[in-house]
Amino acid sequence: MSPARPPEGAHSGVQQHEGTPMTSALIEIRGAGKTFGGVRAVDDVNLQLYPGEVVAVLGHNGAGKSTLMKMLAGAHPMDTGELLVDGKPARITSPSESQALGIETIYQTLALADNLDAVANLFLGRELVTRFGLIDDDSMEQAARQTFHRLNPNFTNIRVPVRALSGGQRQVVAISRALYFKARVLIMDEPCAALGPEETRMVHELVRRLKADGVGIFLITHDMPDVFGLSDRLSVMKNGKVVGTYRTADLTEDEVLAMIIGGKPVTRVEQRPAP
Amino acid sequence: MNSKLQISALDLRLTLMAVVLATMAIVFHLVTGNFLSPENLYNIAQQTAVNGIVVTAITLIIVARQIDLSVGSVLGCVGVLVAFLMYSKGWHWVPASLAGMGLALAIALYQGWLTAVVGVPSFVVTLGGMMSFRGAAFLVADGKTQPVTDPVFLALGGGIDGSIGPLFSWVLGVALTALIVWSGMARRARKVKHGFPLRPLAFDIALMVGTSALVLAFVATMNAYRLGDKPDAQGVPIPVLIWAVVVMVVSFIVRRTRFGRYVFAIGGNPEAALLVGIPVRRVTIKLFLLLGALTTLASVVAVARLNAGTNSLGTNMELYVIAAAVIGGVALSGGSGTILGSVLGALMIQFLESGMLLMDVSIGYRMVIIGQVLIVAVVFDVVYRRFSGERLT
Repeated sequence: MSPARPPEGAHSGVQQHEGTPMTSALIEIRGAGKTFGGVRAVDDVNLQLYPGEVVAVLGHNGAGKSTLMKMLAGAHPMDTGELLVDGKPARITSPSESQALGIETIYQTLALADNLDAVANLFLGRELVTRFGLIDDDSMEQAARQTFHRLNPNFTNIRVPVRALSGGQRQVVAISRALYFKARVLIMDEPCAALGPEETRMVHELVRRLKADGVGIFLITHDMPDVFGLSDRLSVMKNGKVVGTYRTADLTEDEVLAMIIGGKPVTRVEQRPAP
Repeated sequence: MNSKLQISALDLRLTLMAVVLATMAIVFHLVTGNFLSPENLYNIAQQTAVNGIVVTAITLIIVARQIDLSVGSVLGCVGVLVAFLMYSKGWHWVPASLAGMGLALAIALYQGWLTAVVGVPSFVVTLGGMMSFRGAAFLVADGKTQPVTDPVFLALGGGIDGSIGPLFSWVLGVALTALIVWSGMARRARKVKHGFPLRPLAFDIALMVGTSALVLAFVATMNAYRLGDKPDAQGVPIPVLIWAVVVMVVSFIVRRTRFGRYVFAIGGNPEAALLVGIPVRRVTIKLFLLLGALTTLASVVAVARLNAGTNSLGTNMELYVIAAAVIGGVALSGGSGTILGSVLGALMIQFLESGMLLMDVSIGYRMVIIGQVLIVAVVFDVVYRRFSGERLT
């Protein structure tokens, strides 16, 4: 199977004028809801993501941000609400459907099979096969070497089980999936939580590079330097609902923290559902 | 732990097992004087085949964090059905065996569905299956032994006419040797072409020469055994041939198919497998189907060996095959195990059985000892994994 490639021209005409979106959103979530045994984990959430922007999604543990992202990733199908991808209605009921739409997810747990090597993990679930349908290990190793090299030239022990790798190398493997399969939408769940300063810098660089390529990124994080260093807009969630969506530059760190804790929208500046 | 050990971890483990196996053989031979005789080795190979066929699939089941306690009962049930259709219904052995295969696959589908879709732990599903299908084995022929006489069918079980003779044995042995050398060289050539790091040439050559020598030595041993007053030597027994083919096919599945890779991925991290889009349910059901198919094969060989289908066929077999898989290095926590290990594990149990039998050790002591060997294997496994950094606690 060849990697899902974005259709031609998917990234063209992002923004004609500053602040006025001329194209449809990459992702538009309308009135999304999800209930787990009577608990409304996600409740009437509206959110948009445009090409080339980073939207930070913030909130306490249990605020619903991970559930919302898992809806997009196909791990938890939506109960209610609508999803538009490139302005067209889409349904995501499995991780494969999400991947087919160009959505890649980097989980906080990294979703790696510890007993397999880095090459196998990069292609896990989407192995390259020969024309007889057999696993094409050589092609995968070759492609993997190139992809890993782009992220970390020193990462060469790619044929040992990933349990033997360092935290940063494991992160490289997980990120490589997004890179190799040419994500158009990238969901990053706490990407820097377990990383040292060197690896954090790598992740930041990567986010900027993908952004410049027109990839839309949802960044789930607790880390304020990540939010203010990387995101264009931010959305704060509490108890499954969106408190407010703002341009990151319009807010101060204290205001963001106050929204996370208090759940009251900031009124000093206007909300920005779209950039 | 350093990465060199990690790379060679499985190889090191298999090497250790091979050394233990060789040591056992030598010790038994010194004590009994005839353990390494062609006759005894011929019998060991033939006796291990039935369990060995099932162990390959059980290994994968355990790798995927499942278990199957019902294999012995299913083997019995299928065996009685095949024999019943031939003896009481007058069927030819081919449709009878296919009917047995149908039954085994239906059972596999049922148990696989309960495990993968409904979500009942396979331990419980197959514990129930172990009792039910043992009962079903009784019901098929009302508890009556079903003798089989078709000479072609009986040859599948080995015995006097159940081997392929010296000429074919040599042909096969040489062909397998050629395959080993060719695939080893092709592998190196591919790595050179892509510029991947190579293993030391001496290591690859040693591996090729070693395995080839083993194959040829095995063929020579089988060809040195003459049964009764037959003019020709026996050669490789057909059950062993079937087992060898199963081992090669299953190894191929593990290495070269998505299914094989997914089995290991699911065993390594079931949540991750789901998140990356692996069809975990489908793979689990397929895995049970594979086990069902191989159980049928083993069942046919077992019935042919006994010349009859009885409702006690395969009793306690689940314990032996799981023990063999564990001794062969499969981790009950999932995600790790090899098909070659399963072969060595099955052989080790048979070596112990045979060696102690030759030493006139009574059945009671044999069971005590084999049980404790299983414990030793698991203790070794825990210590080994801690040492190699695979387990942190």
